[in-house]
Amino acid sequence: MAKITIDGNQFEADNKRTIIEAARENGITIPHFCWHPKLSVSGNCRMCLVEVEKLPKLVIACSTQVAEGMIVHTNNERVENAREAVMEFLLINHPLDCPICDEAGECKLQSYSYKYDQGYSRFQEDKVHKPKRVELGPRVIFDAERCILCSRCIRFCAEVAGVPQLQFVQRGDHTLIETFPGESLDNPYSMNVVDICPVGALTSRDFRFKSRVWEMSFTESICQGCARGCNIEIGARNNEILRLTPRQNDEVNSYWMCDHGRLDTFKFVNAETRIKAPMIRKDGALIEVGWDEAIAKVASELKSFKKAEIAAVGSAFATNEDNYVFQRFAREILGTKNVDFMRHVVEGDEDNILIRADKTPNSTGAKELGIAPGEGGMGFAEILHGIKEGKIKALYALEDDLAATPEVAEAIAKLEFFAVHASNENATTHSADVVLASSTYAEKNGTVTNFRHRVQRVRPAVTTLEQDRALDGFEMSRWDKFAAQNDTWGKGPRRDARASWKIVSSLATLMGAKFRYNSADEIFNEIAQKVEAFKGLSYLKIGKKGAQLKAKASVAA
Amino acid sequence: MERYILPEIPDYHKLEVYEQHGGYAALKKALGMKPEEVTDEVKKSNLRGRGGACFPTGLKWTFMPKQTTKPKYLCVNGDESEPGTFKDRQIFEFNPHLLIEGTAIACCAMGITTAYIYIRGEYGKWIKMLQKALDDAYVKGYVGENILGSGFSTNIYLHKGAGAYICGEESALMNSIEGQRGYPRVRPPFPAQNGVWGCPTTINNVETISNVPLIINRGWEWYSKIGSPKHPGPILVGVSGHVNKPGVYEVATGELLTDLIYRYAGGIPGDTKIKALIPGGSSTMILRGDALEGVRMDAESLKAAGSSVGTAGMIVMDENTDLIRVITRIAKFYYHESCGQCTPCREGTGWLWKILKRFETGDGQTSDIDLLMDIANNIEGNTICALGDAAAWPVQSMIRRFRDEFEKRVSKTPNGSPEPSDRNRHAEKTATVSL
Repeated sequence: MAKITIDGNQFEADNKRTIIEAARENGITIPHFCWHPKLSVSGNCRMCLVEVEKLPKLVIACSTQVAEGMIVHTNNERVENAREAVMEFLLINHPLDCPICDEAGECKLQSYSYKYDQGYSRFQEDKVHKPKRVELGPRVIFDAERCILCSRCIRFCAEVAGVPQLQFVQRGDHTLIETFPGESLDNPYSMNVVDICPVGALTSRDFRFKSRVWEMSFTESICQGCARGCNIEIGARNNEILRLTPRQNDEVNSYWMCDHGRLDTFKFVNAETRIKAPMIRKDGALIEVGWDEAIAKVASELKSFKKAEIAAVGSAFATNEDNYVFQRFAREILGTKNVDFMRHVVEGDEDNILIRADKTPNSTGAKELGIAPGEGGMGFAEILHGIKEGKIKALYALEDDLAATPEVAEAIAKLEFFAVHASNENATTHSADVVLASSTYAEKNGTVTNFRHRVQRVRPAVTTLEQDRALDGFEMSRWDKFAAQNDTWGKGPRRDARASWKIVSSLATLMGAKFRYNSADEIFNEIAQKVEAFKGLSYLKIGKKGAQLKAKASVAA
Repeated sequence: MERYILPEIPDYHKLEVYEQHGGYAALKKALGMKPEEVTDEVKKSNLRGRGGACFPTGLKWTFMPKQTTKPKYLCVNGDESEPGTFKDRQIFEFNPHLLIEGTAIACCAMGITTAYIYIRGEYGKWIKMLQKALDDAYVKGYVGENILGSGFSTNIYLHKGAGAYICGEESALMNSIEGQRGYPRVRPPFPAQNGVWGCPTTINNVETISNVPLIINRGWEWYSKIGSPKHPGPILVGVSGHVNKPGVYEVATGELLTDLIYRYAGGIPGDTKIKALIPGGSSTMILRGDALEGVRMDAESLKAAGSSVGTAGMIVMDENTDLIRVITRIAKFYYHESCGQCTPCREGTGWLWKILKRFETGDGQTSDIDLLMDIANNIEGNTICALGDAAAWPVQSMIRRFRDEFEKRVSKTPNGSPEPSDRNRHAEKTATVSL
């Protein structure tokens, strides 16, 4: 450890730390563009120049290691002048097109301009022009004029994604970023370069031009793409999810997420195929009905079968809370031991970075909370077999497109009664007798457990019909807070969907039990009391970054 | 003075001629010495680098770790791209074995088994000549396995540059050798800890290395008495520009600049006055022609005069020289050669050139002179490598010493577009209000 002084404050810092790291650990942010905590040091932007007493020149905080007795100034006149000079240099050839730039509002160059720039330009010459709208890859668009050549994207591809697809070409102020000849920026993690780009040079093909970021709300959640459970931020406007971005969590996903998770796990929330209300099949067609009618129908149907004739299939796509209430219902009300859930493992589709072969966010949680056959009960394969043999006649299932698998579809077709919770139309709803419109992960509170037994929170980012936005812990955008009603989230479509735990609770109540849950955290508190692995946990303890479960069971794929 | 680096011996570049005149005796001697004795000899001689920075060579060699499991490397810098510099070329042509011998001795001193001579790619003719000399040296066993039966082995490879000035910067040079883009590295770590291939590396200039056999042959005492005591030895001075006999002259350090111009280079054509002089390649600070009296070609004297030895490539400019054109051309060079890695140099060099270009065409403004100075000051010292400084110094010194030349070129008819200085004032006012 070394004793150092930064701006008059004394700290102890690990000798291996650079000034920028030591400062950061002690709550002092030294402005920077090219430095990134998870990438190698390139030292090229020069924004982090600081003064170290006894050294003749200013030094870059990102590559200078701390030393005993070091006295650092990050805000004196000399440093401020140098910073101002760097800002001036960065801006002379920059197009200054913030009004039409996607990065505006979350741009380091823009923010630092407000803070550290002199406020006017001394540059009277012609700017250097460079290529714009370059398709670096299928998902990332490049504007070379906005680029400040920090090399973060180049280093990301080489060091994190493990595929060096980008490189500098040309020299001086004509330098550009390009893919190698014949290559495309198409690695499974390519869109992270959009996040780490400190300016608007790299934009997401999917999100660009969709919204100004200050009009959006950002909700902390968990990616539903696989069992990793990458921490994400859901960006929404007008009750519509516009993008997902990774949220830093060193225990799970560092600063990254894969392109599949980013692009393919939110669009169903706003899709045309959303189930807008509960539905009952009448004369062969699914007809929208009220909740009371739908639940009464399920209750009366389920009551007409013997316990052993009913199977309950939970879901690795549903939350811990949903699954917990569901298995309680199955065991206590239906009295069936035939409880399980369907696995979605794609063998081989995994890597050593983030992507897992298990394509569900909560298989560990489902298992831990009792979505498993009771003694003598049937597992998922046996349930299918049982249906085919006529032993199982009724099936009640949580959110999962079971019938997407032909073998399962075949079995479902033989059922006498099939009720399913679903957010979107799919093969499964097409063969269901009752469809209970369920909220998506982005419309409810809850937890999921990743493959390493880490419990993490999902939160509502958009709203359903009945949800009370203020009570359910929404993040709000500036629009949400201050704009007129016709500008706000209320404007987007709102579906008459409910969280699965709520639907199951209503059903249980109708069938004579007392499932008095008012909110997801009440259920979680019960889990924390009753399930050993969850002992002592609460939403508060899980916080933003999740909590590790006590019993680390062997890692399930 | 007797010539040591470029002796007047016909066919000296041929191995047999070199051998006849005592060539490779220094290598034999060095192989019989302990490595640290060789280094010590160089250290005591006060030999200072001839590549521009005048860093003590022996001291640099001591930075190499003695205990290391990694291989160590020597890079001999023959990229010679600094405008006004053409001295190493003479060594490649007229005394390549001195360079090869020096390289082998340096390897011996530092326990290095691989040396790269990085040679400017445009030097087609000289690449061939040096390669021939190297091949001959290999055949005779001066380089390669078990040199002269000593048990010490070292290989020397010629590595051609591809035309980038920046690859003469020592850390960019190492990247270039590795096949990477010619980007200077952030230091620390310094090459002696983490150089080429991540291994301990020393980088010396061609001329520097060529001094080593002289020191070993005749001893440090002899060498340290040549020329200026603090910066001794023979030095190759390339004289170009407005002189009657441009060329490379080998002199002892400490030679008067005026002697170099008038005695060696034959004076100025038409006997006109000297307006300005760049003493050591285009990046060194320009001196006024009327301030050359008594200034000597050594580190201390040139420092006192407000410049530096650099590569000792002197560019002489007579009184009819358009200095604005000169500085514009120099600025264009650094703009063109800036690698683009770090912000101040990448953006600043182009800005300098664009403003200077306006002065060249008579479109400069008075406020631009201070702006030029400001930009140069903002580049200087704030970059990864010395190219930023090299681009800033000529501009700074030109303005400091020839401000009148700029003032003469200020636009007299600010027609049409508003004068930039007015725009600035307006902007400043607005800024003050809004902040």
